[in-house]
Amino acid sequence: MLVLEGVSKKFRGGNYGVRDVSLSIGSGVIGLLGPNGAGKTTLMQMIATITRPTAGAIRFQGIDVARDPDAIRRKLGYLPQDFGVYDNLTAVEFLSYFAALKGIHSRARVGEMLEMVNLHNVARRPIGGFSGGMKQRLGIAQALINDPDLVIVDEPTAGLDPEERVRFRNVLADAGLGKLVILSTHIVSDVESVATHIAIMNGGSIVACATPEELMRGAEGSVWEMVVPSERFDELRRTARVSSAVRKSDGVHVRIVSGEEPRGGASAAEPTLEDAFLHTMSTRAAA
Amino acid sequence: MIGRIGAIVRADFLIRFRRLSTVVVFLLLSGFAYVWVPSPATGRTLMQVNGARVLYNSAAIGMATAMLASVFVGLFGFYVISNAVRRDIDSRCGYVIASTNVRTVEYIVGKFLGNVVFLSTFMGGYMGASMCMLLVRGEARLQPLIFMKQYAVLVPSAIVFVSVVAIVFESIPFLAGRFGDVAYFFLYALSLGLVVNMMMHGGAVARYVDFSGFGYLMEQTQRNLHTQSLSIGSSPFDVSKPVLVIDGFNLSGGAWATRLVSTLSPIPLLLIAVPFFHRFDPARLRAAGAKGKRGWMRNINALARPLVRPLAAIPVRGAALKDAMMTFASTPFTAFALIGITIAAVANPASLPIAIAIVAIFIADVASRDRRAGTTGLIYAAPRLRERFVTWKLSSAAIVALLLLIAPLLHTAIAQRGRLLPLLIGILFIAAAATSLGVISGNPKTFIVLFLTFWYVVVNDKGATKALDFAGFFSTPAMGVMLMYVGITVVMIAMAEMVHRMRLRD
Repeated sequence: MLVLEGVSKKFRGGNYGVRDVSLSIGSGVIGLLGPNGAGKTTLMQMIATITRPTAGAIRFQGIDVARDPDAIRRKLGYLPQDFGVYDNLTAVEFLSYFAALKGIHSRARVGEMLEMVNLHNVARRPIGGFSGGMKQRLGIAQALINDPDLVIVDEPTAGLDPEERVRFRNVLADAGLGKLVILSTHIVSDVESVATHIAIMNGGSIVACATPEELMRGAEGSVWEMVVPSERFDELRRTARVSSAVRKSDGVHVRIVSGEEPRGGASAAEPTLEDAFLHTMSTRAAA
Repeated sequence: MIGRIGAIVRADFLIRFRRLSTVVVFLLLSGFAYVWVPSPATGRTLMQVNGARVLYNSAAIGMATAMLASVFVGLFGFYVISNAVRRDIDSRCGYVIASTNVRTVEYIVGKFLGNVVFLSTFMGGYMGASMCMLLVRGEARLQPLIFMKQYAVLVPSAIVFVSVVAIVFESIPFLAGRFGDVAYFFLYALSLGLVVNMMMHGGAVARYVDFSGFGYLMEQTQRNLHTQSLSIGSSPFDVSKPVLVIDGFNLSGGAWATRLVSTLSPIPLLLIAVPFFHRFDPARLRAAGAKGKRGWMRNINALARPLVRPLAAIPVRGAALKDAMMTFASTPFTAFALIGITIAAVANPASLPIAIAIVAIFIADVASRDRRAGTTGLIYAAPRLRERFVTWKLSSAAIVALLLLIAPLLHTAIAQRGRLLPLLIGILFIAAAATSLGVISGNPKTFIVLFLTFWYVVVNDKGATKALDFAGFFSTPAMGVMLMYVGITVVMIAMAEMVHRMRLRD
């Protein structure tokens, strides 16, 4: 169980990265959704013991992260945003290095992890020649090598092609069984297939935390579909919250998130997670 | 704990030794042994005492090459190894390290030992190459133990000192950047002179901080050969004097202990690094300005910004001028340098060498800043800049140098017209060196260390060697000397152009 109580991070200069976040999470995959600059990375860095909160407390399995960071580090796997690698090392050397830093000296475990992320065939190749997706899979392998109870992955799919994104999500879903996985992203589709809970952040605060179904249920009656002529689309985009738009021969097919039915022949639609995210952001912003 | 430290040392070793640049430097350094050990038949020798050359035996070649190795490690080693922490920040692997149980002390000790192992390996290769030179040019049989003993006396203290200082500098925010690079150079040059001077005048304490071993060598020369006239490195000798046979260092137990203390004495300095080390905490990194926005420097830049604003706002055409203006806009501190150089030029024209050194520091990163900032792709997308990158950067560096040195140039043009041409050639020479080394190595450190070393030699030579006076500091150089520097300038730019084109092909 991960418990956050009134956690804040105030930077020098007075800006808040995270402000008064309270949250209680059991197990499963938690998707941390939010726009860029929402404070997701700062929050994850505090949980990962990289930076200390300026206020509040973080507890994992009853251990205070700030007071006893080493205790949580033993149970932690972390993949930071824009994770780089040492280009001159091979995959097996790289993984062995992080394994040793985490106190794991089993070569078999290194091989096992490489196999899990499907890099065993290129284990002896320098990482510098790997694709972005292969590097990210190596990143998740290092995060999981100590069999952690808590896995934190920050924007892991940024820059990956669609195929690699799907592959990475599958790896994460398999690896996350029985653990608490916190997956931060600003791409809704990254979390909708794997997350059991979703926390939405904005402006340094958590604005919602619920299951995907609950979030979607909350947006029911606020999602509309309509077809508008191309020349009206720009105006509509300025005045309404458009969650998606597809240009077709008969006009632009749009989905709109709005508390009121838009004018011009809109019909109610089943909310997707993307709609629910926009709905949450707009209602909280209005509040 | 040992496992974690060992893993850091091993990874650092592999990362460094698999870089092509490391292998090239390693081979070059070993190759230098060939240059440094000339055949006495050429009238030059590796080591001479009071004009007499020494016999090439294991002790002499070992001692002389070990001394050169120590200076190499002390002067250049720092710049080669002072990126161990930076690499972890840039790759973000540091965040992962920070989320493990690795303690700050373990990390710092691991990085320190990584530096020691790396430099020791380098020195091992160099020692091997020097031994080979004894087989090629030696005048006595190779005695490996005696040879190695000379290295054991002189080199470990330099390796440990540099390895410690590199980590300490990387941990202290305001020493982790270019300021630290320059500060280290003067720290090393100053300490070298100071320690030797103190030891020559009986200062016992200096023996314990004789990290280069130079003081010990001078002390031994004074004691055994009754002279301080010693030259190491290829130099001419007096053929009329008999060849001197030296046995190398014969250390008593006390002397070994002294050398051991001077080897180990820098290690406690690592404790300074511990409280300063950010442990990759983004808040501390941001506060420390790990990406070049150091707090105190930011304040100075903020003060200077109004001064450079008019300069940076000049509506210039041409990519080189724009890039030159970028130097002023991105480092407003240059305004203070311009004011300082101008005042110094009026008050004391002899300050020109210092002005040149300051200018060199400011233009050091012109050729490599785009690569380091990751904007090379954007630059290459602009018309013609991809093909003319080297010329563009050379022009930009030369414009910055000329602007900063406008007052000394005007003063020279009015008061010492004959020295204007050598000064202009000198400015072009440093702009070319900064561009060439920046393009080839991809970082400003290479130029800073090589140029400052050269500058230090020139300034201390005080014009005695005419060929060194590249900018007419001490007298109007002969036409041959000026042509030589023009030639070197052309060669350096041609080399940079060649490397750049090779990279474009790749």
